[in-house]
Amino acid sequence: MSLRNRTHDPRVQALILLAPAMLIYVIFALYPMLNVVVLSFQKWNGLAPQRPFVGLANYQYIFTQDPVFWVAFRNTVIWTIMCVIFPPMVGLLLALSLNQKLFARNTFRAIFYLPVIIAPIAVATMWKWMYDPFFGLFTEILTSMGLQSWIQDWLGDKSVALYSVFVAYLWQSVGFSMVLFLAGLQNVSQTLVEAARIDGAGRWNIFRYVTLPALRTTITIVLVLSVISSLKAFDIVYGLTGGGPAQSTQMLALWAFTQAMQIFDFGRGAAISVVLLLITIAVVIPYLRWTQKHEEAEQ
Amino acid sequence: MTATSATSMSDGFETVAVAKPKRDPILIALWITLLVVALIWLAPFIFILFTSLKTQAAVTSTGAFMPPTDPAFENYSNAWGRGNFASAFLNSAIITVIKVPLGLILSAMAAYALAKIRLRFSKLLLLLVVFGTMIPFQVMLAPLFTLVNSLGLIDTYPGVILPYIAFGVPYQVFILHGFFKGIPKELSEAALIDGASHFTIFRRIFLPVCLPVLAALLILDFVSTWNEFAMALVLLQDQHMWTLPLGLMSFQGQFSNDYGQLNAAIVMTVLPATIVYLIFQRYFVSGLTSGAVKG
Repeated sequence: MSLRNRTHDPRVQALILLAPAMLIYVIFALYPMLNVVVLSFQKWNGLAPQRPFVGLANYQYIFTQDPVFWVAFRNTVIWTIMCVIFPPMVGLLLALSLNQKLFARNTFRAIFYLPVIIAPIAVATMWKWMYDPFFGLFTEILTSMGLQSWIQDWLGDKSVALYSVFVAYLWQSVGFSMVLFLAGLQNVSQTLVEAARIDGAGRWNIFRYVTLPALRTTITIVLVLSVISSLKAFDIVYGLTGGGPAQSTQMLALWAFTQAMQIFDFGRGAAISVVLLLITIAVVIPYLRWTQKHEEAEQ
Repeated sequence: MTATSATSMSDGFETVAVAKPKRDPILIALWITLLVVALIWLAPFIFILFTSLKTQAAVTSTGAFMPPTDPAFENYSNAWGRGNFASAFLNSAIITVIKVPLGLILSAMAAYALAKIRLRFSKLLLLLVVFGTMIPFQVMLAPLFTLVNSLGLIDTYPGVILPYIAFGVPYQVFILHGFFKGIPKELSEAALIDGASHFTIFRRIFLPVCLPVLAALLILDFVSTWNEFAMALVLLQDQHMWTLPLGLMSFQGQFSNDYGQLNAAIVMTVLPATIVYLIFQRYFVSGLTSGAVKG
């Protein structure tokens, strides 16, 4: 350990400890993020040595001429709204139920969490096959119930495809909300619950006036994480529909990727990315300020 | 604060409910409802597993939830031999085995420095790191490709491992920083006075103390690295370098009518993460909740 003798200064030691992780983070995460902003003002096909500056032309194109951008935007909004409502709601219901002393509740918890750890692309593959209009699971179930007329081309019909993709996403993501809510429920004061019970409060009133207020922090966290992860939806859409049919499941993250990596217009792809980045930051910054205030209040 | 919710949660997962059987009709109804929902949640797995063991003829002629009468195990060996599946499995294993421990140790070092060494810019760095936990990397796939390409690292292991580490660092540093902050000063001060360097204190005192957190992060990171798709899609173009999710995707494209083999491929892709999950269940929960939900 000759290194130790040379580096008595704790600041030097700190730099040595920090450097590897921070360098990799700055080069491979922050730099591409800044670069995407620069790229959004340039015209580039990914190969050419020149990247002429084109000002706001890429933004002008995606906002006014790109026929897909606003479809993707609208789908992203619908998708995000669904992601903020349904997985947290089902997750909360499951967490409340599984917080009761029930037989085999750990097995139940494990079952609901299991889809979370499966690769989204494998979930897509699984559900694509379950949605198969001929031999898939849903067709089979509806047929056995005598409901053949309900059978849809789940992923091929542009009026239902987005919702079909969402159901697969719901199946995968509910367990995540559930676990966060279960953790939050451990912080609900049992003394308060008991006191309310002794005072004659029913289940609903205990939930409404004791549990729910105590869960406020957790609810905020779950909702913000739901928004963020919904904006990231990429794998499952790519795997299930690739954005089709007729762009009916196209979303901003996927469209940015398609513009750059498949149409080879890196500038326009970057402009779409910047829009998505700004939306994310608009959610993240208030949340970070909120957590900081929260922590200060705790201390 | 972070550690308490983590432990209470993992206890909750561990302890089997041994309550006296209450004859509360609401709880009984609730339990039956949960059972039905749980069966619905499990149905896709059962369907995939059954189909993976059926011959092509059996898939089309028997019901979805009919167990395979004559299990067609050859689906697995056939799928394994097809479409680079074996090499994809190997690539996934190599990348995961290098990335996960390496990324974690680098994160732990950085987290220690941020939490335990007085620095003027540590608050700013921490903010930068927390910001990174929220940013969707899906936004930067194209510039990431450009960067890795300009370094000549497309289709190489470092070309995918370095970005993986970069996007893993924020969450891990954030969690470990919170954990190190909670460790009392006295533990390191005595050693500092004795002339030990921060390297020694980190290795001898802090690493052993945070082993449970490291284990939780290790397992979470194993699963997310094993499952990663979007970055691999742009950074690994040569199919001999593909990881398992890419292999599965192309398998679906090429052999989508081979239902039995396709489902066998799905099972093989999903199995390693599932086994890790079933063995280390409680670590998952503590790893997730220690970061997100605080007391």
